[in-house]
Amino acid sequence: MWLVVAAVCCYALGYRFYSSFIAAKILVLDAERATPAERLDNGRDFVPTNKWVVFGHHFAAIAGPGPLVGPVLAAQFGYLPGTLWLLAGGVFGGCVQDFVILLFSVRRDGKSLTEMARDEIGPVGGFIAYAAVISIIVILLGVCALVVVNALKSSPWGTFTIAMTIPIALLMGVYLRRLRPGRVLESSLLGFILVMLAIWGGKWISQTPSMAHWFTLSATSLALIIIGYGFAASALPVWLLLAPRDYLSTFVKLGTIGLLALGIVALRPTMHMPALTRFIDGSGPVFAGRVFPFAFITIACGAISGFHSLISSGTTPKLIRRETETRMVGYGAMLAESMVAIMATIAACVLQPGIYFAINSPAGIVGQTAENAAAVISGWGFPVSALDMHSLAQSVGEQSLFNRTGGAPAFAVGMAHIFSNSIGGQALMAIWYHFAIMFEALFILTVLDAGTRVGRFMLQDALGHVWRPMGRTSWYPSILVTSAMIVTAWGYFLSQGVKDPLGGINSLWPLFGIANQLLGIVALCVATTIIIKMQRARYAAVTIAPLAALVLVTFTASWHKVFDANPRIGFLAHARQLGSGGGTARLIFNDRLDAVVTSALIIMVALILVESVSRWMSGLSGRTQAEVRETPFVRTRFAEK
Amino acid sequence: MRVETVRGQGPHSTSLRSGPRRTFNTARLLMAVLREIFDESAYYRFLKRTRTERSRESYAEFLRENAIVTARRPRCC
Repeated sequence: MWLVVAAVCCYALGYRFYSSFIAAKILVLDAERATPAERLDNGRDFVPTNKWVVFGHHFAAIAGPGPLVGPVLAAQFGYLPGTLWLLAGGVFGGCVQDFVILLFSVRRDGKSLTEMARDEIGPVGGFIAYAAVISIIVILLGVCALVVVNALKSSPWGTFTIAMTIPIALLMGVYLRRLRPGRVLESSLLGFILVMLAIWGGKWISQTPSMAHWFTLSATSLALIIIGYGFAASALPVWLLLAPRDYLSTFVKLGTIGLLALGIVALRPTMHMPALTRFIDGSGPVFAGRVFPFAFITIACGAISGFHSLISSGTTPKLIRRETETRMVGYGAMLAESMVAIMATIAACVLQPGIYFAINSPAGIVGQTAENAAAVISGWGFPVSALDMHSLAQSVGEQSLFNRTGGAPAFAVGMAHIFSNSIGGQALMAIWYHFAIMFEALFILTVLDAGTRVGRFMLQDALGHVWRPMGRTSWYPSILVTSAMIVTAWGYFLSQGVKDPLGGINSLWPLFGIANQLLGIVALCVATTIIIKMQRARYAAVTIAPLAALVLVTFTASWHKVFDANPRIGFLAHARQLGSGGGTARLIFNDRLDAVVTSALIIMVALILVESVSRWMSGLSGRTQAEVRETPFVRTRFAEK
Repeated sequence: MRVETVRGQGPHSTSLRSGPRRTFNTARLLMAVLREIFDESAYYRFLKRTRTERSRESYAEFLRENAIVTARRPRCC
């Protein structure tokens, strides 16, 4: 409970003083200035909206599986590094990024980050922002799909529940379109009730051998099914699958986050994870690498996430009614997300450390058998027995909880522990566990289908410049080709993770963290450039400080991931080890591909930094006329008398 | 209750008053947030703009108009 109180105090101070300082001294928020929502009000995408409504809308869009999974994985270092990064990174980094990008987009008629990068930094900046968005989408989708695969493999209960969400979403689509047009809340509630029934039915499925057989799938089978699903979700009409799933996922997400907050406050659970573990030295079983820089790329959402800048320069700026409200929406919603990440840390750290490591350690580290794994983990100083793990698995309705890497199962066990101690006791532990798994998987699959579709549109836009018909978003051959390209790209990373003897998360999650922080660097470069152009250079440290931190973290992490001599960390060292040990050519190729992707990402960071710094220097030295590309001032009709 | 009672009516439209009214306003605001998140208010705005009634046809038209916006809306990690 003290952690929650400490976090709330930090966030309150950050919001009250730091965001006020930024609003007053740097951004000079102008309550008299009309926003694009007011000037361009068309009742469709530009709509002046109440600030609390925009806050809820923005929070629902930025809160994804990242703030839940990242802190759970980083808990291998103990609760302290992750918590400190969430607090400092959130208050001084992520919130600042979201706030300034939102305001700058508002002052530019709701332009996207890539458009602002092109206009303010230059064509290289624009191209890199575009490439960063595509990269992050592909890597993100591969990693997210891997988390789902690891959570559902050999779990008939979980697989059945998630499988049922597809017909439920289709039913909701038909209900919305044919039976009760436009009643989304009503259909989401109906969908939620059906999902709860599916969770209950999953128990019966798992206890009926003839049925369980059909839903007990290997990681490879699940990966293939998810790849097929991603393709279908991208190619099918939006109203049929994507939109209802999105509504259902949002409904469950908001409800569950609220429930978790209530559960933590009501139960005040004891955290068993120490403040720091021996794994800060880089020998951690969940993922290899020292606490610096790996804790800082493992936790992105919740501290600072480049992806948020896409939302802050997407739908939200078109809804903001008054400039002064960007502070509450941009800075405030990110604080709320950071708080969700703190709750995820708590959910992971209420587990006995031995149990946490047993769930999150891959078989390649702790061995194939339960006895072996328990002995290895106990040898690290975190006692756990095969019997404890068996009882726990039984209580949550699973055959085994060993080697369930990816963070989702550990979070689900922690959440089930908190919920079952609040409501229902041990009798409901299995239901709560599968509720948590369903919640995470539903969440992730929504990111997967929305992300595949967004990637498809971006690819269609790009290919349209090469051959015009490919740019037509409703032309079916183009839809099929671009959907297949995006799905193949993230499907490759997924299959790589599934085949990885170290569990996939070890190599892919850092890659995702690097790609995400790269986008954060792009956003902060854009923000700093605009601040300097606004003649506010003396306050530019507000964005330069988090930018410098991200550059340091990203460069160091990338260096380690490519060149570190430890095969568990460095891709090239791992490829060499596989080569000398007679490993398969495919695994060696995967390592080399990861090294190339990481290098390409870091080169893009370097290029955008060079271009941005040169723009700052020429602006500060007066060599070029700094031109702020804001839309002209128009007085608002919402101004207070 | 309509969404527009808390949207676009100036800075004082949601000011919370004391007593039961505060609870009522909070509940109303919460519903407005949910309606915005779940696109119900977007449909309502569509009906108002096109001066049509809630029906299968108007909802299908709304979905067609909104398909690109919905499909291009990223979901954060």
